[in-house]
Amino acid sequence: MQANRAAVGGSSEYAIEMLNITKRFPGIVANDNITLRLKKGEIHALLGENGAGKSTLMSVLFGLYQPEEGVIKKDGREVKINDPNDANALGIGMVHQHFKLVEIFSVLDNIILGVEPNTAGFLKKNEAREKVVALSEKYGLRIDPDAKIADITVGMQQRTEILKMLYRDNEILIFDEPTAVLTPQEIDELMQIMRNLAAEGKSILFISHKLNEILSVADRCTVLRKGKYIGTVDIPSTTKEELSRMMVGRDVEFVVPKKEATPGEVLFKAENISVASKAHKGLAVKNVSFEVRAGEIVCIAGIDGNGQTELVYGITGLEPLESGKLFMAGRDKNGNDIPLSEITHLPIRKRSKLGMSHIPEDRHKHGLVLDYSLEYNFILQTYFEPRFTSGAGFLKSKSIREYADKLIEQFDVRSGQGAITTARSMSGGNQQKAIIAREVDKRPKLLVAVQPARGLDVGAIEGVHRRLIEQRDAGNAVLLISLELDEVMNLSDRILVMYEGEIVGHPDPKTTTVQELGLYMAGAKRE
Amino acid sequence: MQQVMLLIQYTLVYASVLTLVALGGCYSERSGIINIGLEGIMVMGALGGALVLGHISPELPGIVIFLLAVLAAMVFGMIFSLLLGVAAINFKADQTLAGTAMNMLGLALAIVIVKALNIAASGGSNNSAEIAYTATREKLLLAQGTEFSMFMVLTAIILIAAYILLYKTRFGLRLMACGEHPQAANSVGISVAKMRYAGVLISGALGGIGGLVYITAGVSKTNFEVGVAGFGFLALAVMIFGQWKPHRIVLAALLFGVFRALANVNSGFDFLAALNLPQPVYNMLPYIISLIVLAFTSKRSHAPKAEGIPYDKSTR
Amino acid sequence: MEMKNEQKHSSFFKRLLANPGFRSFTAALLCILIGLLIGYIVLLIINPANAGEAIGTILKNFMTRNSERLRLKALGNTLVKTAPLLLCSLSILFAYKAGLFNIGAAGQYVLGAGAALYCALGLNLPWYVCLVAAVLAGALLGAISGALKAYLNVNEVISCIMLNWISLYTVNSVLKDFCPVGYKDTHTLTSMNPSAVLPTLGLDGIFGNSSVTIAIPIAIIIAVAIWIILTKTKFGYEIKATGYNRNAAKYCGMREKQNIILTMVIAGSLAGLASALLFLSDYMQWDINQSSIPAMGFNGIAASFLGGLHPIGAIFSSYFIQHITDGGSSLDTRFYPVQIADLISAIIIYLCGFVLFIKLKMIKASGTIPQKRPDMAAEIKHDADNKKGGDK
Repeated sequence: MQANRAAVGGSSEYAIEMLNITKRFPGIVANDNITLRLKKGEIHALLGENGAGKSTLMSVLFGLYQPEEGVIKKDGREVKINDPNDANALGIGMVHQHFKLVEIFSVLDNIILGVEPNTAGFLKKNEAREKVVALSEKYGLRIDPDAKIADITVGMQQRTEILKMLYRDNEILIFDEPTAVLTPQEIDELMQIMRNLAAEGKSILFISHKLNEILSVADRCTVLRKGKYIGTVDIPSTTKEELSRMMVGRDVEFVVPKKEATPGEVLFKAENISVASKAHKGLAVKNVSFEVRAGEIVCIAGIDGNGQTELVYGITGLEPLESGKLFMAGRDKNGNDIPLSEITHLPIRKRSKLGMSHIPEDRHKHGLVLDYSLEYNFILQTYFEPRFTSGAGFLKSKSIREYADKLIEQFDVRSGQGAITTARSMSGGNQQKAIIAREVDKRPKLLVAVQPARGLDVGAIEGVHRRLIEQRDAGNAVLLISLELDEVMNLSDRILVMYEGEIVGHPDPKTTTVQELGLYMAGAKRE
Repeated sequence: MQQVMLLIQYTLVYASVLTLVALGGCYSERSGIINIGLEGIMVMGALGGALVLGHISPELPGIVIFLLAVLAAMVFGMIFSLLLGVAAINFKADQTLAGTAMNMLGLALAIVIVKALNIAASGGSNNSAEIAYTATREKLLLAQGTEFSMFMVLTAIILIAAYILLYKTRFGLRLMACGEHPQAANSVGISVAKMRYAGVLISGALGGIGGLVYITAGVSKTNFEVGVAGFGFLALAVMIFGQWKPHRIVLAALLFGVFRALANVNSGFDFLAALNLPQPVYNMLPYIISLIVLAFTSKRSHAPKAEGIPYDKSTR
Repeated sequence: MEMKNEQKHSSFFKRLLANPGFRSFTAALLCILIGLLIGYIVLLIINPANAGEAIGTILKNFMTRNSERLRLKALGNTLVKTAPLLLCSLSILFAYKAGLFNIGAAGQYVLGAGAALYCALGLNLPWYVCLVAAVLAGALLGAISGALKAYLNVNEVISCIMLNWISLYTVNSVLKDFCPVGYKDTHTLTSMNPSAVLPTLGLDGIFGNSSVTIAIPIAIIIAVAIWIILTKTKFGYEIKATGYNRNAAKYCGMREKQNIILTMVIAGSLAGLASALLFLSDYMQWDINQSSIPAMGFNGIAASFLGGLHPIGAIFSSYFIQHITDGGSSLDTRFYPVQIADLISAIIIYLCGFVLFIKLKMIKASGTIPQKRPDMAAEIKHDADNKKGGDK
């Protein structure tokens, strides 16, 4: 392996160089000869799909993994990074995608954790508070140092993470997918903060798969695909199409084609429903009403944590309603249609039998029993039916196997050992395909799909979107809960925007803009 | 009146035991390790303390006897608690299973050691699991004929120290971070394994001292075949009731202490005697109370978020 | 040529390692060997001169007896105690499959004994009624822990321990009226109510031991039944799904709370039956002065984990644990404490905590499941969250 040893001495124009990095895991090369060079004072984007190797590369930079090949240089000098302490000592800091904040601690305690000012081990919080307040004023990062993390907004949590880096005098700031949890307006604010930081001489690495944001804020961009280095481009001289081609490896259809919707009768109706919050004592869903008709996709848009999770729990029966009523049309066990009737107090199993399917938000928490085989996961919703269980309560292993083989074929679920593969050993995309196969094969009247494309690569996302449109075209109702504006704009026949537990807008997908949606999502606009 | 004094004394003795052991559990769980093995740790601590009390010369000054016994109990408890540390931290074993094994192991080991020593000392004629320490125990009492002992002073000191250590120092902040969000702690350079070992070792030390206090509560000899009668688990209930906070743990311990003390002195109270409850009811009382308390307090649990989950460095 | 041979060997070995049954067996064997080794070292420390003979005594158990007749009789005694141990281990294993740690098997066992003996000595009822009473008593105690867990989120380990002590004090005070004057043990069934003694179906003749009854075949039949329930039935499917991922079980409409209670009821029944099988064999009597909880329930933990959490494995591991416990009790008490055997079982349980680690090493060595990307670790953590119940 030839390492690049061109730049020697402290006067390098690069703050950090990762040269020819290769990191292997058993059975996979996560980083294959990757080079990333971050100039001083620039905003450098790192672009790639899920599984392209971005996270592994960052873990190498932070000493969580040791690369098999390649070197890391700081200011042109080769350095060895064995753990996060080494990275910290070199002035490298990171805002993680999932914040690393202790919820029961105050903002201040989180900022000083690990570098606590102290005398003989006793904390000197006043000294710390002064420095934090000074920093927050200097960079315009509004925070309350004494508030508990559990009580503050996601935006303030992110500012706490940024202050954590500044408190440590980090010179190299890494932002890992920082916009996923923010409204479009908050995103603009973050972009401005990043520009300020760069202007103060900080070097910024911005990890993202969102092309628009990269184009708007970055100076240069390095692209990874399937663990390989594809190239580094100057942002002013590139286009969205070129970047996406580099990321995916082919031209991408941004929109899955679909016909005009032909909505029929109402299949599902929510009437003034309220659901208690998991996080605090109040209500997460407040007095929400809407309906979904046959042959349409209704999408609930909104920033994460505005009550969508609890809304779905209430609809599917995972949590009881505080108040309000639910109605659904379905079918009985002989397949005869049942008109719209109240399901407010029905248990989960009965809703499922009536014709409700649920692709859950978290496939590992709810969607799969990871230690069960694929075939056992396929029958999770139907194992009790006579086709899988005999009258005496014994499982019919032959029918179960045949059914699994059928779904594997029909939905192209790939796994090492077919029906008997443990779900845990399957890739995320194929796990999701298995869940979709199970839920769709139930031929639901109402399909509740929560972020069905989360964590999937572009090809798989297209496949998931096609399935949802198929459901709609077959005359069923689809309720889609999504955080991705692109997904909302491409799939919905109707949009409901949720903000702080309420439906604040019904923008028409044909005429609305991302900006308008953003205003609704941020609570800045309501009908 | 005399009976009330006696009740107060026994309450304080048992509350001391429960406070110490529950604080131990608190430190372990705050670091992220569930310590079901406190019962075994107590037995081992009791063994260490009893060996000192049983073999040291009663002629020595009381404070020396006290310090040596406490030191032995601490060291025994800490060494034994390493079993949990190694299993839970290095090998990511099921913490409940490891703790349960420790309870059985602690008891069996203590019996084997005491019997082996008694057999060796008596040439085979005495194979009991008993150690007696009448004279040395008396030297630990603050006032002869009462249950007020140096252990109560020690408990008070440890309680205050435990509060300060947890809330006012760098160590406490880091320890709690490891129990709540080990990934966050690790990302700022804190060694989760080291902090968890610290938590487990502190629980070993405090559990060990708790065991020593238990076997000197109103008795001057102990039979290790009986163990510590579920006090390790009562302490866990005290810890849960105290919401993993030292200043609440002591209040919970006092409440449980009263009920345990009633088992010793109930016959002296006229109104209790009038109820004519059989003695086994009083013996059961602490366990029944703790079941009821748990039933009311477990729903909204303030347990450290990451407790019981082995920490994996590569988890994000 | 040589190379090829080596490859062949290694691939044979890898195939073996890929077999879950082989992995469980090897891991269990490793635990036993290390446990015995430590036990031997302890014996050496206590009294080096007799250690070799002592470890032999523990391992040989009934085989040390002088005649064929005595050996058979001693084997019978070990079997009489293996039956309850097996049921206790099944109780723990069954609950563990549903994600519950039934350390309360000990208390359910105690209450079962109390119910069986009260029916036998106090009410003069026949054996089958006593058996049912013991099962119900165990089930009741299991139901309490289960309901506390399901509805009030009370950690089942702690509630079980409290119930263990409550049961012990209750049973001691209930049975104190059924002892011969001046004795701490209850009456023998043969002397008071022979109809309460379990039938022997001629097994007593085979072993020359009147305590060998239908208890032993009953225990084995139940082990097989538990195995069938867990692997072949809808109920087993639900129980295991709940144990692996409580949230997913709820998501797909399984009644998780009822399943938790039902699981604990079954686990409690098994432990209750365990004590009935022992005490209705009239092999031993209840000591009303005992101030510590009988070890049978706790040894069940050792047996269930040593048996790889498999009902058929539990048959063999239960026998093994009882074998060395009885072997330990024939140690020469002039030199050694009999609790050495308890020490060895405790060490074996402790080592069982490492079984997962050992198995993982073997899986890696077999190379069957290529370790995926680091997200694997995230999944495992997630899973641990789910097992905790997630609702906290």
